[in-house]
Amino acid sequence: MLIALSSSIFFVLALTLVGFNFYQPAERYAWLTAIGGGLLGLVSVFLWQAQMNFGFSLPLWGATKVFATPITFSANGLTWPYAVSLATLAIAILLTSATRLNFENILTWAGSLALTGVGLLAVTADNPLTLLLVWGALDLVELIIQLRSVEGPVNHEKVVASFVTRALGSGLLIWANLVSVAAGHPAGFTFMPAGAGLYLVIASSLRMGALPFHLPYPPTSTLKRGFGTSLRLVSAASSLAVLAHLPSASLASTLTPFLLALIIAAALYSGWMWLRAPDELSGRPYWVVCLAALSIVSALSGNPIGSVGWGCALVLLGGSLFLSSIQHPWLNRALLIGAFSASTLPFSLTAGAWLANLSLLFPFVAIAQTLMLTGYIRHALRASGREAPETQPSWTQTMYPFGIGLLIFDQILLGLIGWDGSRQIGAWALAVSVSLLTFGLFWATPRFRIFNPIRAADGLQRVPSHWLSNLQRPFDYLARMINSALEGDGGFMWTLLVLILFISLMAQGGR
Amino acid sequence: MNAAVIWILIPLLAGLLTLLFAPERFSAILGGALAVLLALTALIFPIDTALLIGNFSLKISASVQVLGRSFTFGVADGPLLAAIYGISALWFFGTQASGTSNRFVSLGLMIVALLTASIAVEPFLFAALILEIAAMLVIVLLVPPYQKPQRGIIRFIIYQTLAMPLILFSGWILAGVEAGPGNLSMTTQAGTMLGLGFAFLLAIFPLNNWIPLLAEEAPPYAMGFLLWALPTFTLIFALDFFDRYTWLRTSQQFSSAMQIAGVLTMTSAGLFAATQKQLGRLMAYAAIAEAGLVLLAFTVQSTEIVNLIFLLLIPRGLELAVWALGLSILKRESYALKFEELRGVARKYPIAVGAIVIAHLSMLGFPLLAGFPARLALAQELAPHALPILFWVYLSMAGLLIGLARSLTVFVLAPEGAAWKLAEDWVQVVMLGVGAIGLFILGIFPQTLQPFIAQLPTLFKHLGQ
Repeated sequence: MLIALSSSIFFVLALTLVGFNFYQPAERYAWLTAIGGGLLGLVSVFLWQAQMNFGFSLPLWGATKVFATPITFSANGLTWPYAVSLATLAIAILLTSATRLNFENILTWAGSLALTGVGLLAVTADNPLTLLLVWGALDLVELIIQLRSVEGPVNHEKVVASFVTRALGSGLLIWANLVSVAAGHPAGFTFMPAGAGLYLVIASSLRMGALPFHLPYPPTSTLKRGFGTSLRLVSAASSLAVLAHLPSASLASTLTPFLLALIIAAALYSGWMWLRAPDELSGRPYWVVCLAALSIVSALSGNPIGSVGWGCALVLLGGSLFLSSIQHPWLNRALLIGAFSASTLPFSLTAGAWLANLSLLFPFVAIAQTLMLTGYIRHALRASGREAPETQPSWTQTMYPFGIGLLIFDQILLGLIGWDGSRQIGAWALAVSVSLLTFGLFWATPRFRIFNPIRAADGLQRVPSHWLSNLQRPFDYLARMINSALEGDGGFMWTLLVLILFISLMAQGGR
Repeated sequence: MNAAVIWILIPLLAGLLTLLFAPERFSAILGGALAVLLALTALIFPIDTALLIGNFSLKISASVQVLGRSFTFGVADGPLLAAIYGISALWFFGTQASGTSNRFVSLGLMIVALLTASIAVEPFLFAALILEIAAMLVIVLLVPPYQKPQRGIIRFIIYQTLAMPLILFSGWILAGVEAGPGNLSMTTQAGTMLGLGFAFLLAIFPLNNWIPLLAEEAPPYAMGFLLWALPTFTLIFALDFFDRYTWLRTSQQFSSAMQIAGVLTMTSAGLFAATQKQLGRLMAYAAIAEAGLVLLAFTVQSTEIVNLIFLLLIPRGLELAVWALGLSILKRESYALKFEELRGVARKYPIAVGAIVIAHLSMLGFPLLAGFPARLALAQELAPHALPILFWVYLSMAGLLIGLARSLTVFVLAPEGAAWKLAEDWVQVVMLGVGAIGLFILGIFPQTLQPFIAQLPTLFKHLGQ
């Protein structure tokens, strides 16, 4: 029941803030209430450790046999780190929001907290049915929020395309479940037969938002830092958490190497774009795709611990970077702890990332990781675009570092305690070589024009739009032809002809 | 009191009286209240069972004879009648919000009464005749006064009328089959006739081209009602056939034909939906796809077949009501409901657009919405025996999803800086809100349908036992 308690705290808090917004919109206590409640939620997630491994199920949907699978949530050594990461991200968003122009926007805090509640349910979902429902909720929430916040036809089209892509991902999750049921297995992640797990991996990849590749928020949108970060990272974590449940046997397929190749290609491309992004917010979709791709590579190579490590890095490192809006020299240096966390060096958050044998994939994975790390360091140390601390009131100057610091502290903590991937030595030789490559690339970045971020900004604009309608044009033409034949004056005759064909085929089949 | 009087004669007369005497502004409330009353009566008072209230004994007798035919309701019919009149009440209450004239309530009441009679009539073959009469009343509902009927409505009545002799004729042959079940050629003839009859009635591909045509011509609310009412009762009629004739249930050939017909209907509807540019037609194709899905449910080799079919049918009433009401509201903005006239309409009618999107998502089986539990359950039942069939089901769903993406893109394509408004009145907001919340409740807690569904398998002697 601790899972229900933790997520309820976030939901109740969100509702309380909505109440504040309607009845006492100018009330300053709203922020303190949010911080207090959020900390309570975080503490409750830490309390899970006292009972680990546990779960709870809701009553069945009906007495009939067709609803034999209950909605179930479970906490264990692979779901807890995600839960801690999400809860910490929620607090960090609230603490750092004090420095932003839209501080008064209580509804965005409520949204972040509600999303965290849903995120906690998503990462602890123990079977496909449960995950489908939580994904559905996240998708609808994201669709509504994005449609309300973006402006302009192109952005609207991208929001819809992104929703459709995620819905297709949910469809693949159902398909994986059906393949499992068809093979006579009970509905659940741990029982997936060979090949079924692959559909889940594809579902997860689709939902990561690689298609459409970039979703820009308008500069005036309140979604840009706080709530936007929450939306992207909670959604990503909820899609990746499923990978930790997959037994390696379920990924055995002749298609696995091809899928690995595609995912590594995505990691390389997004890593490259992340490195060259003009600023961290423009590069945020690439950060998400790159880290997700690394997480998927770990899962596909039969290493769920690595997958969780990358997933948590996505949330914690990404959160600390995307929430940094104040120029603070010490904090900028502290952000470099994130580079250690994503380096896969011993005792880091991602130390268990490459425990499985990568064989020929090693160089490609190392390059992708290097690009991602170099990009992270570059964006962490970037001074331009951030506000000077002197422009902020003194109390926010105290709160803001505390928010970023919490995310950094969690990275260190998760490297040492609390889950199956903590205190790992890991593949240290690979980690050292990636670290050396990262130093080399970081040195080279300002010295070679190829790494020039302005060209990358151009690249960001070249993402194709209208892909859906272009893809559909031939089908449109065909459907119009058939429709006009069936619905036109001779439609009845065509109908009878098709019918006679059908009956004669069926009659022949029966003989 | 007699069951047939309560659930057939009273709504029939009420419909007639509403048409003649009721003022337009009260007709929605009158019709809706009567339907609620009939639903509650069905839920509270068991048929053919004496109920003691103090010293007062109350019994609703099960059967009545009319012209040598009997209209009989059993105990198990109670939840079914409650569901039918409950959903009808939603449709009638929604008429005020949809701006439909009081003809809808009066004719709707009469149509529902006739369709209810079709599930009670004995010999059951007479249901085909009653369905035909109901279809004729639908014409009055769909064609506005003083307007010439167009191609869709003419094709509709032709197809419905062709179904009737085919079903009656197959019934006549089936009587012979019952006498000598070994006669294989007779069985095949009867099966083909029956299949054709129901293909016309249920609008199986390619006999469904009247639906998109009609959806373009007719008022969306009336069209939605037609898409809910006629197929629902036709399917109950079909279940009756299935229950009575063992060879129909056990025939592998008939089952394969139904599977192929279901897949063809679904896939074609999904693919056509993906290419539509008119909102009425999009709703029509979603309804056709669902008809294909129900046909697949008939091929489930399990005792859960009745539960599955009703799990699909009951939310369908709500989905179509919400969708059709949303379309009726948008029709004020664009009479033709064509994409090019509806660009950015979400900024002006956010609730109507939201309701349409939610209803569409529900009909394609999006998680959290009413259509999801039934589709998941059906897919899980079919998966062990027919996984490739499910691939085509998915293709159809993908087509519906693309249709949704295209319409949603049009709805939100507002020019930069366009302000958000709320052009719907409060009645429309309440009706759409209640409908949308209902879709979520049925999707998250499908056990709320349990009181209606639990007893339904007992309606049939063999199916679901």
